[in-house]
Amino acid sequence: MNSLEPKRVIVIDDEEALRHAVKRILEIEGFIVKVAVNGTEGIKLATEEDYDLAIIDLKMPDINGIDVLKEIRKSKPNTICYIATAFASYDSAIESTKLGADGYILKPFTPEELISQLYKGIEKRNILLETERLRKEREESLLEVAFERTRLKTIINSLKDGVVVINIHGEAVYFNTAALMLMNLEYLPLGIPVVEHFPNEIASLLNSHFLNGENQENTFSAEINRNGEGKLFIEATLSPIKQQNNTLAGVAVILRNITEYKRLELAKSQFVSMVAHELKAPIAATIGFLEILNNPEMKIDDAQRFDFQTRSHSRLKSLLSMVNDLLDISRLEMNKSIREIRELPLNEIISEALLLCQADIKKKNLKVKTNYSPHGITVKADLHEVSRLFLNLINNAVKYNKDGGSISVTAEEKNQFTVVKVSDTGIGLKPEEQAKLFVEYFRAKNEYTKQIHGTGLGLSIVKRIIESYDGKIEFKSIYGEGTEFILYFPAVVIGG
Amino acid sequence: MTQKVRSILIIDDDTDILLALKTSLELNNFKVFTAENTKDGLKIFDAEKPDAVATDLMMEEMDSGFTLTYHIKKTEHGKKIPVILMTSAASVTGFKFDAYTAEEREWLKCDALLNKPISVEDLIQRIDLYYEEKNT
Repeated sequence: MNSLEPKRVIVIDDEEALRHAVKRILEIEGFIVKVAVNGTEGIKLATEEDYDLAIIDLKMPDINGIDVLKEIRKSKPNTICYIATAFASYDSAIESTKLGADGYILKPFTPEELISQLYKGIEKRNILLETERLRKEREESLLEVAFERTRLKTIINSLKDGVVVINIHGEAVYFNTAALMLMNLEYLPLGIPVVEHFPNEIASLLNSHFLNGENQENTFSAEINRNGEGKLFIEATLSPIKQQNNTLAGVAVILRNITEYKRLELAKSQFVSMVAHELKAPIAATIGFLEILNNPEMKIDDAQRFDFQTRSHSRLKSLLSMVNDLLDISRLEMNKSIREIRELPLNEIISEALLLCQADIKKKNLKVKTNYSPHGITVKADLHEVSRLFLNLINNAVKYNKDGGSISVTAEEKNQFTVVKVSDTGIGLKPEEQAKLFVEYFRAKNEYTKQIHGTGLGLSIVKRIIESYDGKIEFKSIYGEGTEFILYFPAVVIGG
Repeated sequence: MTQKVRSILIIDDDTDILLALKTSLELNNFKVFTAENTKDGLKIFDAEKPDAVATDLMMEEMDSGFTLTYHIKKTEHGKKIPVILMTSAASVTGFKFDAYTAEEREWLKCDALLNKPISVEDLIQRIDLYYEEKNT
């Protein structure tokens, strides 16, 4: 409470003259003064509001001052109460202090006596209020600490990462539920050595921390077999917990489940090794031919020379298109922001793709049928991507077609989708080949496909493109008869 | 190098690689048999009993070259001739394998392993080496 604020005093006295005299004296001194004409009113006023000081007459007709004092004390323990009494009842005055009054004022009193008494009372009240404030503060901060502890515990327990704290004796001091799950443990007893409960790799590292007093942070990964639930790859980070004098107090172990990363890593390295294998094949073939062509000791005739040159040329062209495909794939994976979404007329894009394949269409003598709805169907997409998509599909329809076969492209708008069908009368797919159709580098190997070069990336690019527009691709295929691809473009592009 | 005409069977599903190797080997005085898959390869091996076999590693299946080598090395004739694996996989898979030591050859069940692109000189050298070691 601010000590500069005017102090509030209540004067409870049945003697009107005295009440007024006191009121006036105190008001001149800067107090705010309230008066009560008897004990009953005094109790009512003094308990309704907070007063710094109360001056209570000992002898009042209704309730005596001691009882008034008791009542005020009950609800306002910090109000400083004085009992005012005539010299005749000095003993009662002493008695009143025993009963809880903070002091007594002997009647008659001079203004100076009264005021000096009251100032002492104010000091006392300040001490009381300060004590109470400190007590409250301590209670609050204890509550806060307790709350903080449960909160921290809740947070650590709900982490997906495992946390185990181990002291210098190898005893678990703290752990969370995720730690148990990741180490495939049912429980972990606190206060006894637990290192041997841990999977070997973690245990041996923990031991090295304790035995050698290793003070470095250490991260490593371990493979943990969970009974019947498959393998988990765990990354454990061991951080030394140091005491103030820099000696090791224990180790905090953070366990992370990195199984998914490992799976991706494996998929990626398999992809890289497939890419390298596929890229090396045309290089190996071309180098093989060039070594013959460049070696004067190797006597070959003109027909062979021409054949080798043609084959080298074709292999290098396929190598180039494979590199382009790979670049497209990484572009699709890395950056969608360079897309320029526009309303694209489908018939133009498809006509252009057909035009680019014109040479092969003529060579194979293929019939091309197109059927678009009369008002001109559009898709909202990036021109480069959609052109790429249709070029890949139509190129496949040409490449894997039979001589004299046909290609059909139809487009229609249907239930919020633009549905495009590209079908051929080509070699089709065996049932066992169908599941792998969109897998990178999968190319059906059978008597028909042997002479067809391809990168094995075309359809996976098609799938990536259409799915990046929240569309989908389906296909129907009969081996030896042909394949039909059905594309669904959503009419509204989300996140384009 | 012996001047006698020797025979070799090469197996690779890449017809261009097959053609280039065949041409080079023929110009180096080899009689060359070719096959595009392991099944045909084994048939020709049994029928022709070549002086050497060179096979691609990854064909129909990732390890079809290993399988073929295994079947050839099981036969009487297979034990007497060099079987050489050709691969473009080794250098990228990170797992380094080679067949220079007896231990490595035992593990790979082949007599040499060559990385693609294959140099025909290397291939011939490996075949010569096999026969030289055998004769001493």
